[in-house]
Amino acid sequence: MFNRGRKKDSALSDEELVSLLQKQMDTERFGLLYDRYSAKVFQKCVGMTRDRDLAKDLTHDIFLKAFVSLGRFDHRSKFGTWLYSITYNYCLDTLRKGQRHRTEEVDERVEEGHGAEDAYEAQLLGLRAERLDEVIGKLDPADRALLLMKYQEDLSVKDIMDVMSLQESAVKMRILRARERALRLYGQLYPEEP
Amino acid sequence: MSENPFKIIRSTDQPPESLRKDVMSSVKFVMLLMRFVQLFVADFGSALFDKVRRVGDDGAPARPGNSNNDTRS
Repeated sequence: MFNRGRKKDSALSDEELVSLLQKQMDTERFGLLYDRYSAKVFQKCVGMTRDRDLAKDLTHDIFLKAFVSLGRFDHRSKFGTWLYSITYNYCLDTLRKGQRHRTEEVDERVEEGHGAEDAYEAQLLGLRAERLDEVIGKLDPADRALLLMKYQEDLSVKDIMDVMSLQESAVKMRILRARERALRLYGQLYPEEP
Repeated sequence: MSENPFKIIRSTDQPPESLRKDVMSSVKFVMLLMRFVQLFVADFGSALFDKVRRVGDDGAPARPGNSNNDTRS
């Protein structure tokens, strides 16, 4: 008799579940969200950190942060995008703690035309997977995260703007710079290939 | 056209089974903590002032505007 309501919970959308959780905290309902997103969050953490053990700890903390912050979720974006934003920012903060901040100022102006952008993109997408994997692993965490969001998760510029809290021009500029740096690094690692 | 190499290098690892248990017990602990804060800390002001009252010389509660304790001549 009492289980009838619970069975229905699994049919609810993410946003409906969050609305119920905002009214009353419930570990079983939160467990449903965990079941839906844990693999995705864990895989993103592995992609960002390249370390399975660290990714496990980060996934734990990210779900705890999400639980504590659920009250602040304003339903303007999808729950998945909101959770991705927590994942991205937390992974980046953790990785940055382990390295010195870059002092290089990021020039947000888009200096190059679309022709150059397209050429870089085609070059990047034409790389061999195992070599790209090595390049991605050696990139600065912020560049790595951007390229994974753009080319692995297929996030739109608008989604990336939400995740990173940046303006459109800044997102485009950073993607362009990340591509340039990835290709430069590729050239250093594999000088025999043009 | 060749496949996007970013898709090929995507991690397919699954989180360990034990992680769910860890997350849920941490969530339960946080819930307990939040309830504790709600019960005892959020209402700290009224809990404190329920126990404290300002009294005058005669032991009666001081009324606002009562100038009996004013020593200025």
